[in-house]
Amino acid sequence: MREELVWLDEESPRARNAVQASLEFVGALGVLLFASIRGLFSGRLEWRETLHQMAFIGAASAPIVALTSAFTGAVVTLYSASLFVEVGGGNFVGGALAVAMFRELAPILTGIMVTARCGSAIAAQLGTMKITEQIDALRALAVSPIQYLVIPRVLASLVMFPMLGMIANFAGIVGGWVVADAFGIGLSSFLQSIRLLAEPFDLIGGLIKTLVFALIVSLVSAQQGLAARGGAVGVGRATTRAVVLSMVLIFAANYFLADLLFAKR
Amino acid sequence: MKAGVPALETRQLVYAVDGKVILKGIDLRVEYGEVVGIMGASGSGKTTLLKCLCGLLKPTSGEVWVEGVNIAPLSERERMPLRLRLGIVFQDAALFDYLTVYENVAFGVERHRKLSREQVRQIVRERLAWVGLEGVEHLYPSQLSGGMRKRVGLARALAMDPHIVLFDEPTSGLDPVNAYQVDRLIVRLNRELNLTAVVVSHDVVSLMRTCSRIVMIEAGQIIAEGTPETIRQLEHPQVRAFLRMASSETLDDVPWLGYNIGQEAQV
Repeated sequence: MREELVWLDEESPRARNAVQASLEFVGALGVLLFASIRGLFSGRLEWRETLHQMAFIGAASAPIVALTSAFTGAVVTLYSASLFVEVGGGNFVGGALAVAMFRELAPILTGIMVTARCGSAIAAQLGTMKITEQIDALRALAVSPIQYLVIPRVLASLVMFPMLGMIANFAGIVGGWVVADAFGIGLSSFLQSIRLLAEPFDLIGGLIKTLVFALIVSLVSAQQGLAARGGAVGVGRATTRAVVLSMVLIFAANYFLADLLFAKR
Repeated sequence: MKAGVPALETRQLVYAVDGKVILKGIDLRVEYGEVVGIMGASGSGKTTLLKCLCGLLKPTSGEVWVEGVNIAPLSERERMPLRLRLGIVFQDAALFDYLTVYENVAFGVERHRKLSREQVRQIVRERLAWVGLEGVEHLYPSQLSGGMRKRVGLARALAMDPHIVLFDEPTSGLDPVNAYQVDRLIVRLNRELNLTAVVVSHDVVSLMRTCSRIVMIEAGQIIAEGTPETIRQLEHPQVRAFLRMASSETLDDVPWLGYNIGQEAQV
């Protein structure tokens, strides 16, 4: 088990081409996941750091997740209501929005907003700690950076992402209802159609998605931060990569999760 | 501390990366109570050697013995507890910048020792007093000067009561007065606590002041070894060149480079 794979140093070998770099990324991610799971059960949990991260990833992200979801719910309703009302299906507007929010929009929006807000911050903080030798200082004090830095962030993400997903669902529905109201769709028929069309599993499946996204954002950002090298430019590069890779992986995972969770239903 | 076992020892230590050999078979032995200086130019491999000694880097081949344990073949997890025997003072102190001075010094103690809050506070206060810092517990690293940061870094390393402390460029970036204070501190800790120290530096004056033995490395190899006195008198051309470039015994000897531009080939 080479934990060294995770914190590449100035002295570590450099990947020579894209294939090597991708393999290195996947390898480091795997090592980090494995070491995190092992550390979670065998090591001491850093409560203070975990709570701190929960506040940062969860509570502080809630407003921006709510805001973007509300606008998304509103715009979806803007299109669907104008269409549905025209063909006399105004009763379906709420339900269509709910299914779209629960299954797709809320999880994806949560993933993207938290990646932008916290994934970048995680990579930048860990990257800066790396290049200023603070990661080495942790190791020198016999404190595993995985135990102290990575596990609290992964854990905080796993706890907070589903909650943010719920907030996104609620905000999206509210945003949609405001627009639906303007189209003359009443609250009771709006809610009635949600009850009619959306199933509990739409909600549960969406929240399962957020758990996977939580793992992607926290692990990728931590890995990129810990692998940063080459001064301030290196930290910048790590931050960009953390955001880009997290988003690409979220979209890719979203497709496969949709296939797995909802395609057969 | 076992009799006859050196504090630190490397045998044929090799560190290579990307086909470039940085350390080419280093044999180094550090006895308890010694202050050993590792002198060399930037890029000579001295920081890599230091990181191999404390197990932050895994050597390509060879052995690294810390208090009678070969740490070279061990994994990161196995090496972790062994690191507590060593204190490391990093080049730019590497203090945790989001924690106060107090939290920095208490960091290792709080995690590795089952002590009451009052006992931890006592250790922190005592270590900070050792390095001549009092009343700064509540400050953040960004509020300290470079010299103070280094001393906090030393206090943090000393908090775990290591037998051996490794210093990475302890005087780099410090003004002469602060550099002198850090040097004095190293010597004092060696005298009073019988601390074994390895000082990696290119600051010749500082090494001559503090070390009982100096090892000069160049291009990943040990090229000279001895007391400061013998090093000073050595006729080895590379050592002579390094000493002449790096320092001058008195200020009278310091040449103004402006006069010499154009004649550097003769220097």
